[in-house]
Amino acid sequence: MSSHAAAAYPAIKPGLSKDVLAEALIARFGLVRDARDAWDLTLLAPRERLIEVVTALRDDAAWQFDTLIDLAGIDYLSYPGHDGPRFGVIYLFKSTVFNHRVKIKILLEEDDVAVPTLTGLYKIADWMEREVFDQIGVTFTGHPNPKRLLNHHEFVGHPLRKDYPCQKRQKLSMNDPLIDQMEARLASFGYTVLDRGEAQIAAGITVKGEGSVK
Amino acid sequence: MTFKPLPPSVTSADLNLGDAFVTTRVDAVVNWGRRNSLWPFPFGTACCGIEFMGVVSSMYDVSRFGAELVRFSPRQADLLIIAGTITYKMAPVLQRIYDQMCEPKWVLSVGACATSGGFYDCYCTVPGMDEIVPVDMYVAGCPPRPEAFLEAIVSLQKKIDRESMAEQKMVGA
Repeated sequence: MSSHAAAAYPAIKPGLSKDVLAEALIARFGLVRDARDAWDLTLLAPRERLIEVVTALRDDAAWQFDTLIDLAGIDYLSYPGHDGPRFGVIYLFKSTVFNHRVKIKILLEEDDVAVPTLTGLYKIADWMEREVFDQIGVTFTGHPNPKRLLNHHEFVGHPLRKDYPCQKRQKLSMNDPLIDQMEARLASFGYTVLDRGEAQIAAGITVKGEGSVK
Repeated sequence: MTFKPLPPSVTSADLNLGDAFVTTRVDAVVNWGRRNSLWPFPFGTACCGIEFMGVVSSMYDVSRFGAELVRFSPRQADLLIIAGTITYKMAPVLQRIYDQMCEPKWVLSVGACATSGGFYDCYCTVPGMDEIVPVDMYVAGCPPRPEAFLEAIVSLQKKIDRESMAEQKMVGA
């Protein structure tokens, strides 16, 4: 518990309105509220402060945003009335203790689309970040497994970028073996991979996936 | 017992065999067997797969047409039923399953997605199964009614009836 937050905002209690919550959060973190989001509460944060702000939101007793509900990437190319950086990443947090929600938005220039990963803070961020990388092309530095999630491994480009021709189809010649993730999962249960079948493959036996696990 | 050929003067009428055998063509017998005992492999990836379950179960009962023995191994099936949306990520899997099926084999493309991609006019959906595997029958609908499904089975049986072992060509040969 951070005594700073709790002492400064003793009035934080369940079910605050978004405006009251916005005032408290802005006073605490010194961020700017996104005027475009009239429905909800979105705070604009610089990329450098992401980890610091999110750690405080999660761990301080005054906030306790213990759930990362969603994580989305945005491409603002040809977005009406937008003249800022091209890309954005939005994190949506919820406090199951106070029933509060807050969004953190980070804007990214086209030539530097990297944000620090949140996988160290929220385990669920793993696949969410992989999806945003896959579809929008934002890279998450420090991600443990920065691979595509939805599209196949031979896919070139990022299909939800506004300059990707949405009907451009890309064929896959060989399916994507997910055995590396399976092995990591088995390892987390205490299994060790003894043999991946390399000997058979080297000997010309083309039956794959015949390795053994103990 | 040794086999002695009958003298040429003896005809079948002399043997008095009655209706103990019939004469026919090999194609007719083979096709009769094939069309009335299709073994489907259901590749159900979307709501058409649910429709297939209705077709197989007692209400519509595809066993009336001899195609009720659903197999989940491509080695034991001769009718690949593609019921649902296929993405490019899934396509190599489907292709491999088709390759694993033994000849003769037929493919049924069920519903709008398998036939044309349906309303998924986008970067990730295969716009029609015939890009991946050769298709024998298409079933329209989103999803199709079981009646349409059954009509496709019957149409496929008629198609099988027209096939000839002499003219049969191996796919991919």
